[in-house]
Amino acid sequence: MSSARDTLLARVKAALAPLPERAPLPDWERELVVMREARGAVDAWTLFSARLAGVNGTPLTSVAELIALLTKSDWRRGYCDPALWAELRPAFDAAGGFTVETTFDRARVDDYQFGITAAVGAIAETGTVVLSDAATSSRLAALAPWTHIAVLRRAQIHLDLPAAIAALPKDPNVVWCTGPSKTADVEGILIEGVHGPGIQVALLLG
Amino acid sequence: MALQQIDQFAAKLRPDTRAAVYDGSKKGHEKRTAVLFDHYPDPDHLRRLAGNIKQHVVENLDTLLPAAAAALERNGVKVHWASTAEEANAAVLAIMQARGAKKMVKAKTMVSEETHLADYLGKNGVECVETDLGEFIIQIDGDHPSHIVKPIIHKNRREIATSFEKHGLGAYNDDPQTITRRARAHLRRKYLEADVGLTGANFVTADTGRLVLVTNEGNSRFCLAATKCHIAMVGIEKLLPRETDLGLYLNLLARSGTGQQLTVYTEFISGPRSPAQPDGPEEMHVIFVDNGRTEALASECREILRCIRCGACLNVCPVYRQASGHAYRSVYPGPVGAVLSPLLAGERFPELADLPKASSLCGACNEVCPVNIPIPDLLLRLRARGKEAGAKNAAAGTPPMGAWSLLATQPFAWRTSLTAGHTLNYVPKSLIPVPPMQTWLRDRTLPAWRGGAFRKWMKDRAKK
Amino acid sequence: MAHAQSALITPSSRPAGKRVQMMATCLCDAFYDDVARATVEVLEHLGCTVEFPEGQTCCGQPAFNGGDWEASRRVVRHTAKVFAGDLPIIVPSGSCAAMMFHGAPLEFEKQPDLPEIEALGKRAWELVDFIVHGLGVKTWPGRYQAKVAFHRSCHSRGTCTGPAALALLSSIAGIEVVPFGEGEQCCGFGGTFSVSFPNVSKGMGTLKLEHIRAAQPDVLASIDMSCMMHLGGLAEKDGKPIKTLHVAQILRDALKNA
Repeated sequence: MSSARDTLLARVKAALAPLPERAPLPDWERELVVMREARGAVDAWTLFSARLAGVNGTPLTSVAELIALLTKSDWRRGYCDPALWAELRPAFDAAGGFTVETTFDRARVDDYQFGITAAVGAIAETGTVVLSDAATSSRLAALAPWTHIAVLRRAQIHLDLPAAIAALPKDPNVVWCTGPSKTADVEGILIEGVHGPGIQVALLLG
Repeated sequence: MALQQIDQFAAKLRPDTRAAVYDGSKKGHEKRTAVLFDHYPDPDHLRRLAGNIKQHVVENLDTLLPAAAAALERNGVKVHWASTAEEANAAVLAIMQARGAKKMVKAKTMVSEETHLADYLGKNGVECVETDLGEFIIQIDGDHPSHIVKPIIHKNRREIATSFEKHGLGAYNDDPQTITRRARAHLRRKYLEADVGLTGANFVTADTGRLVLVTNEGNSRFCLAATKCHIAMVGIEKLLPRETDLGLYLNLLARSGTGQQLTVYTEFISGPRSPAQPDGPEEMHVIFVDNGRTEALASECREILRCIRCGACLNVCPVYRQASGHAYRSVYPGPVGAVLSPLLAGERFPELADLPKASSLCGACNEVCPVNIPIPDLLLRLRARGKEAGAKNAAAGTPPMGAWSLLATQPFAWRTSLTAGHTLNYVPKSLIPVPPMQTWLRDRTLPAWRGGAFRKWMKDRAKK
Repeated sequence: MAHAQSALITPSSRPAGKRVQMMATCLCDAFYDDVARATVEVLEHLGCTVEFPEGQTCCGQPAFNGGDWEASRRVVRHTAKVFAGDLPIIVPSGSCAAMMFHGAPLEFEKQPDLPEIEALGKRAWELVDFIVHGLGVKTWPGRYQAKVAFHRSCHSRGTCTGPAALALLSSIAGIEVVPFGEGEQCCGFGGTFSVSFPNVSKGMGTLKLEHIRAAQPDVLASIDMSCMMHLGGLAEKDGKPIKTLHVAQILRDALKNA
């Protein structure tokens, strides 16, 4: 045991010693923090996509929609999770004109206009996609490109936030992404795409 | 007569700064209230519950801290302990030196503001770049944050554009989008060059050893995607007893702080990256920092350690809105700062003993606090402490109460003063709770003196 | 559990009989005798017998807020002596009532006579709170023809007084309660704050007046004359006086048209 630790903990103990009793730890019902919309019989994807749109995110339900989005903005160069690429490649090849890599080269971080990675979950009531080290093939690929596409399966969607907390995976790095990166630091004006994506897509496949 | 420093600061504040602070905080408060009451039938119940759980944390730190440290170590995190700001800074530097690291990118952490980490590292040959847009602007300006959540609430776009131009970030352009894009390009290089990413933590779960970070910009995520070493500086009060408690606090924090349902990036970090993951730290350190917190813990104001740094009390506070954050001369401004800053100052308490006076005790801060801190009560306790300590700056402008209390405990003298005030047509200064009459009368009239009239009316009625 | 308390909570069980003691407050004693008279008349209209202990002075709040707790405790002890007994104590001020049931126990935390001071606090009622929750009066008779802006004084936060006053005023024929912006904000009085922070205090009061004037009320009403003294004084100094009243005065005047 280090002495720095002992010193600090001794100060904590001394500070608390005079207390005649300690405040108890109350239990609470998770229902308390679930919003009305997420209670009862709700279709998870319907709620999720409405919430995601509410934070300026983009819910999509087919690869064709994704290709249309990328084509419209002429975003042709990107990264795709190697496992997902097998599933998506036929549609991209058929559309033509895309250059997609399956390893993310950090030396060329600004060359990628989009990054496609797998989500490990989602939260319907907040429009959140959940990433993790295990599910998401590259942290940088999900963050550095202007457009991030998180691929999602219907069964992965939690209705509410406490459910997603209860299902936090044993993973060193779980990230909830709720819409595009944003700031309001300058005069309170909303600007999207600060350090991370300006466009956050959730693509529902299956 | 000596004057209160915060009042003087407010009087000299530039009108455009006051307008920026006022508008920004008012909007923040309105958004917070709308969202909380729209989403939940009884937000006050949630605030009280969150306050009770945090109070449990504060009063059980002696068991929860070792538990959290053990959980973090199980997850592969190296835990360090720092009783002072100097020790905390030295611990950061030692980790960097051991790796031969020279460059750090840093997300927003209030505790690193307390320890002046960036300055310290700079003096020791380490480049430390702030990555939160607001904090980055503060850094290049050599300024200080004036709000816990919105560090540059006091600046306008023209000032920012001027300093960007001065620091080689492009020709003058005050469009917020252009400012943001330029910072994006500049900081992106910094992330990729950096050896170490430093963050704070909004919460640490004592049972599972997860650090929780919330940001909107994605800068802390970038720090943890681009660098090979993660250092987190964490105040010892940041613990939550159970991972499930996050469900309560994450919902309250975003709504109270920025009026969002949830911040854009909520990160749960429990150790170095997975072996299969190409990006991110292979080494993770947590430094638990005291820096005066145990002083607060030992005081009668330990409730302030519940604070989750949302800034809602600043946004609603009428004094903050008039005076701005810099008036508080400390890292933590506003109502929370008026309590926390003098406590964290330790022996330097008298220097900041005037801060608890900067309140009309209106209680709005308590009403919005997501952990229900009874801030007015704590301000009052610190006022009593300031009086006992004989702090001159705290006493400034407060009428002495000795004569008044003498009079107010002697009914005959009290009644005589009431009628004397009438006949002499002057106000007996020791009787009325606003004795420095000239200060009162500078901006306000005083009603006609009617001392004794009600008592006479009561007596006359009794005779009938 | 002292630490879990909100800053202000109205005591839960308070005596509510029709024999009451009245604390006039130092401001009514010195300036606002008509408010104190209206308080007596309103209480008597409701069938109460009002006792006025002659030895009363002040609730002790000025020194309490100023940080001089020793001086304040002397005054609170005096008040406890003067108001001995178990009758409800009715105060035409949310601020002084809160001092009695919340502030005083706080500064007596470590004093041996804390129980007596707590007992005193548990008898203290702000006037409108007493009318509505003590006596169960939900509507008010008579007529009062005016647009009324009701300033929610800060010591009604966390207590039952604010909504009670609003409900009672709204029930009076002829009254239109006009809402105004940022109603939750303090007027800037704050006791000694008004003279130790004169610039901030003025800034707060000026904003409050702007919001109130925008609603174009005939009368500005409150349950605390301290706020009214500050706002009325600012408005008059500014050359644009506004009519300020205590809610008790409106209740009393409405009865004249019953």
